[in-house]
Amino acid sequence: MNRRRTAQNQDGRDGGGGTRSRRAMLAATAGLTVSSSGCLRGVRNIVTPDNIGQLSVSITTVPADSARQNVRIARHLEEHFEAVGIDVSLDIRSDIDFLRTVLYDHDFDVCIGRHPGGTDPDFLYEALYSRYADESGWQNPFGYADQDLDQLLEKQRRLSSDDRSTVITEILESIATEQPFVPICAPEEHRVVRTDRFDGWENGHLATRHGYLGLEPATGVEALRVSHADARPTENLNPLAADYRRGGTITNLLYDSLATQNGTDEIRPWLAESWDWDGQTVAVSLREGCEFHDGEPVTAEDVAFSYRLFKDISLGALEAPSPAPRFRGQVDAVESIEIRDDHHLEFTVETNETVGERALLVPILPAHRWRERAAEVLGTGDASIAQGTTETVVTNNVPAIGSGPFQFVSRTEGDQVVLERFEDHFTSRTAVDLPEPTVDDCTFFIDPGSVSASRAVADDARDVTSLPLDANAIGGVEESGSVERIESASWSFYFLGFNARRAPFNNYRFRRVIAGLIDKQWVCNEIFHGYARPVASPVIEEWIPESLEWTGNDPEVPFLGTDGELDVDAARAAFENAGFRYDDRGRLRVRH
Amino acid sequence: MLVEVLIQLVVVIGILLPLSIAVFVGRERLARTRSEWRTRLRAAGPTVGVLLLILLINRLARQRAPRLSREIGIHLTSWFYNIEGEFILIFQSIATPELNTYFSLTYIYGYTFLLIFPVIAYFTLSDTRIFRRLLTAYALNYAIGLVLYVFIIAYGPRNLMPAEVTETMLFDINPQYRYITREVNSNTNVFPSLHTSLSATVAAFAAITRSEFPRWFPVAVVLAASVAISTMYLGIHWGIDVAAGLLLAALCVELSDRLVDRWSLSELFEDQLRQYEERLPWERSD
Repeated sequence: MNRRRTAQNQDGRDGGGGTRSRRAMLAATAGLTVSSSGCLRGVRNIVTPDNIGQLSVSITTVPADSARQNVRIARHLEEHFEAVGIDVSLDIRSDIDFLRTVLYDHDFDVCIGRHPGGTDPDFLYEALYSRYADESGWQNPFGYADQDLDQLLEKQRRLSSDDRSTVITEILESIATEQPFVPICAPEEHRVVRTDRFDGWENGHLATRHGYLGLEPATGVEALRVSHADARPTENLNPLAADYRRGGTITNLLYDSLATQNGTDEIRPWLAESWDWDGQTVAVSLREGCEFHDGEPVTAEDVAFSYRLFKDISLGALEAPSPAPRFRGQVDAVESIEIRDDHHLEFTVETNETVGERALLVPILPAHRWRERAAEVLGTGDASIAQGTTETVVTNNVPAIGSGPFQFVSRTEGDQVVLERFEDHFTSRTAVDLPEPTVDDCTFFIDPGSVSASRAVADDARDVTSLPLDANAIGGVEESGSVERIESASWSFYFLGFNARRAPFNNYRFRRVIAGLIDKQWVCNEIFHGYARPVASPVIEEWIPESLEWTGNDPEVPFLGTDGELDVDAARAAFENAGFRYDDRGRLRVRH
Repeated sequence: MLVEVLIQLVVVIGILLPLSIAVFVGRERLARTRSEWRTRLRAAGPTVGVLLLILLINRLARQRAPRLSREIGIHLTSWFYNIEGEFILIFQSIATPELNTYFSLTYIYGYTFLLIFPVIAYFTLSDTRIFRRLLTAYALNYAIGLVLYVFIIAYGPRNLMPAEVTETMLFDINPQYRYITREVNSNTNVFPSLHTSLSATVAAFAAITRSEFPRWFPVAVVLAASVAISTMYLGIHWGIDVAAGLLLAALCVELSDRLVDRWSLSELFEDQLRQYEERLPWERSD
């Protein structure tokens, strides 16, 4: 099938009078083809005596319904793959399926996605540390393993201030040269809010719990109507389920963490009243009298339990510990936890204070509800993770019982999640100077997409869009007296991920050429309508070293063309320079 | 949001139906229906029951199906895309704002009307066979469609080339309609196009009954063709989905002819009923 298709490919090019029009090539490749599954590749190896053949790559991403930009980047890339003689197919999967395929099953060649990123560059430890390569989750989904980078990643966790900054620059430079994944662009975050019903939108970042607390309702307003353009939380409210979580905004309202972070602000005490550093230990004092939504007290035991569970979701039931698919890098900083009494714990960390405090941002779960979920589950046919699947990651956790400022009331699948104010939350105490829930009800209504969501706010059916608007919806927001578009700090980024477990994606030379096939500037202008900036580094702006600043083109892997148009000859020459070969029909050859 | 769109739909259909009954059916048939409706309903009862059952299963399954699909379905999006490429973009070349409006209205209102009207029209025929065939064909469309939806995961053109179809994309022009379509279907269910297959089914029946409803026939054909084209024009379906929809329609119309009156459910039940009636007095006298 592959041969027939490439034969047509060749005809198409000849028919075009020798001009390499990508559109003509695309049209000509409309022959029958099947994505390159391992099985098919196996069959092909039996029928063809040698194992050298055209490189087949599938690009995994989500449909436009989930995020319009991803599939557009994927098609931009697809066009350029075709042009350089790679047999390419698109693998479009729903949000849940995409995350399971990429994060859990590692069953992809390359993928286009939005990485949650981080306000501190330490998230790169989780993303690229080689010891995580075999685990499922946000921990090293790329299967990347580089000894030098490992050492740098470890080092930045230990060093402080200026020394740390130097190492982080080295890390970013290493990423830029090796391209373990390609950071494409950093999107701006825009949301639509109604100012006639609530004031104080600018105080809290709407990707965090702070965006929904401390709001000032107009008189008579008792409900916060949130538009959420992602139906996944109506199916599942498990803070550990990486396949259902985006930023975890809703679960952060339901669950408290010891510390909290409002956007890019510094990390502050939350469920912990305070903490004291002494070398590598930190003494944490919990607020007294806190309760979970079912009335059980929040104790030091729940805190210690939560960290134990994140480190091993089987709580010792499996032969080897099975770390959770979220929070891996954060929790790994904690070496041990000692319970001093009901409200005092001592954490020993292996890191500096900056990284150590990030470990305090994970949700605190009620031990009495999660302990029994540590049992292994087999053959659920649902999600399964490489390190061992237990109920902990597959439960939909409905109703979600946390200790957060809002508690779960009900949900309708595909339609809405209803929360209400948790009266006993510590933020409501007069002595506590933290933003509190100011409305009785907080309902997340599921609207189908950014455009509908912002319209629903304009029509006074909703008060706020919780997720940042897709770039195509931003320009269309009509601001009037009571409808405002607000921009907030952003730390996520779009990326092209390689599965380094599969050749030739394990070869940095190959990855670098691929990175040169994406015109990041063009992507930002055309696909993001200017609401994103092209990046060579996956961290927030203040961490980007001068050497890696954007200078109209990528400083390390510049686009092999101009204005979105690939210079096909230059790109093919780049592959040849990297040690790859073309056959007499212009197909990029690899050994399978 | 959903409620508003639904109310609009009900109002539009509520206006269209009486008008079209007056134009296409006529007073005479209505009068006869008033006196015969009981016997006709009794004759068609089992078929109505089967259709309602299929619709109910369909409704329940559509909620569970995406999850099941995720586990056992095969991904065919790239396959469709590789076969037909940017074929549906030819409709972009004829796009105008007027056509946008025409096809959007056809997709939502025209389609709903097209499905409901023949049910009423054929009920006014003294012979209930064509009525029962129509309902059987509907039931088959939904049943076969549901099975294909479970096994085939495919996204439509709008999900692959959003920028190219954005000028004519139904949900880009009229995002409010997505509230209603998501109630009915999931975005991975594009193969086959049930819009096309059900519309084509209606057109086929309009052809069969053109001597009874001569004025309906051309209207049904134009409307059905418009619905099929609208699915591609609006960026919802691939050409392959529409082709499969046409095949499914042909299959269902043919099957409805073979199946209806093959087993008479009412006779079957009447036999049993008679048996009970015979048995009961006998038992009582014993």
